[in-house]
Amino acid sequence: MENAIGIPKKRRLGGEATLAYALLAPAVLLMLLFMAYPIIYVFVVSLFKTNKLARIQEFDGFRIYGKLLADKENWKVIGRSLLWVITGVTTKTLFGIIIAVVLNTKYRGQKIARLLFVIPWASSIPISVMLWRWVYHTEFGLLNHTLKSLGISANPPVWLGQPISAFLSCMWVDIWIGIPFMALVFLAAMQSVPRTLYEAADIDGATRSQKFRYVTLPGITAILLIATLLSSLWTFNDFNTVYILTKGGPAGTTNILITYVYQNSFEWLKWQKASALSMFTFVILSIVSFLYSRVYFKREAM
Amino acid sequence: MLGLGYTNTNRLMKTFAIVLTIILLSIMLFPFLVMVVSMFKSSEEIYHIPPYWFPQKPTLQNFVTVWHTIPLASFFVSSAIIAFGAVILNTMISVPAGYAVARLNFPGKKTILYAFLVTQMFSPVVIVISLFKIVIGLKLIDTYISVIVANAVFTTPFVIWMLNGYFSGIPKSIEDAARIDGCSRVGALLRVILPIAAPGLVTTVIYTFIYGWNDFIFSLTFLQTQDKYPLTIGLYQFVGRFAVRWEELLAGSFLAILPVLLLFFFVEKQLVSGLAGGAVKE
Repeated sequence: MENAIGIPKKRRLGGEATLAYALLAPAVLLMLLFMAYPIIYVFVVSLFKTNKLARIQEFDGFRIYGKLLADKENWKVIGRSLLWVITGVTTKTLFGIIIAVVLNTKYRGQKIARLLFVIPWASSIPISVMLWRWVYHTEFGLLNHTLKSLGISANPPVWLGQPISAFLSCMWVDIWIGIPFMALVFLAAMQSVPRTLYEAADIDGATRSQKFRYVTLPGITAILLIATLLSSLWTFNDFNTVYILTKGGPAGTTNILITYVYQNSFEWLKWQKASALSMFTFVILSIVSFLYSRVYFKREAM
Repeated sequence: MLGLGYTNTNRLMKTFAIVLTIILLSIMLFPFLVMVVSMFKSSEEIYHIPPYWFPQKPTLQNFVTVWHTIPLASFFVSSAIIAFGAVILNTMISVPAGYAVARLNFPGKKTILYAFLVTQMFSPVVIVISLFKIVIGLKLIDTYISVIVANAVFTTPFVIWMLNGYFSGIPKSIEDAARIDGCSRVGALLRVILPIAAPGLVTTVIYTFIYGWNDFIFSLTFLQTQDKYPLTIGLYQFVGRFAVRWEELLAGSFLAILPVLLLFFFVEKQLVSGLAGGAVKE
């Protein structure tokens, strides 16, 4: 009946929208309850004094933020987190590109090599991090043994025992976990660059490095941006590495913001401070994402 | 002459690539090499000064001992429950949602897609503080459900984005044809779209499975009794003890890593192109 007189377009869109909302409802509800609500809740908690059971006591306003802005330890942790992200993502990207270029060369065993490169990422990450505790072991660890027997260092450091070397050790493990993803994504991107572009470059007499600079790099820029953005977020949020290797020690010198949040909450039961620190992570990550999206859309507009 | 020169550089490049591969692989696989040689050592051999690389009297004893000293089987079962649970819950909510954003027109679509993307910024650690209170409030502390839901929530946005990519790639004409043949929308989704998108769906399932299998933070926070610990937490508790028996722990780690690794090798190519494709598609 209705068909005979023709359904107005608006009505049909309405039906489609209703169906769409119905299909989206479970996902959206779950997100609101377990993602949006916790974030709002964390913000609210930061405005109140809390007891050890994380119960809200009296209203405190934004005082905790003032305290944190004046707190030297807090700035140290933030500085360390930024250093962690910048060094980490840069190193992961460099290693990723090198491995992708190597794997993009045709040679025998290249397929097996690709599978082997993925192992750090594919094996259970928390367990791989535990393996590193044994690798870094001062007396029995095979890392120090190898450094000694290769003559690289006669007196290798107590890796996880001293502030600077412990931080570098943690950073390396985080980098090590992140490299395979970068390598595989870049490899996929490189292989999607049309062959004809390389053939054209060959005709123009381009050298290998010129081809990399003028054909490969522009071809992978979009993925490079997205992969480094994702990697920045993951690196910043990497809780497992520091927590499992050092728990932020010795004396808090390897804490990054994310482990500092966890310690303040579940170990020291300073819920208000932990909540406020969480808001710091949001602000920092929002700025990073915003800068990235500007670069990304600027590039697209060109 | 030109041809000869080209072959020479090519061979040089190949050799260079192989040498570089070996160096890079020995860096990347170092801890696993250490694990594989050490798990066959007896405790006298592993705690020998100076240490040596290869076991002199290789033994399988550690695998037997670790099975008895720590409840490895129970950890395995817990990991599987959490990972499969997350996969089921995640698929049930992501497939309809992914279909809706890929195929239907409705106001607020872009906002919802971007809202999902924004959630990628949030670390589980930050959410876990208030999630912990919710879990206590719902009396779900020390239950698998709490960990399963948390893992499903954290994988859902990325999975919806990936599914959005896969579903959009399927020509609309196929779905229209099914509907002319009398399929309802849901029928077309189940009988036509899903089978075509199956490779993509496999990718998202494995992504979620690995995420759940690797879960550390939610299990660490929500689970309190040992018989519910997954492998990650179970082995971590073991490392935290004062006298760690590393030779046993390394054997246990090997057993824990193996299933995921095998799974990964089977689907490596698909998973990676899926991740790359899904992440890049607008």
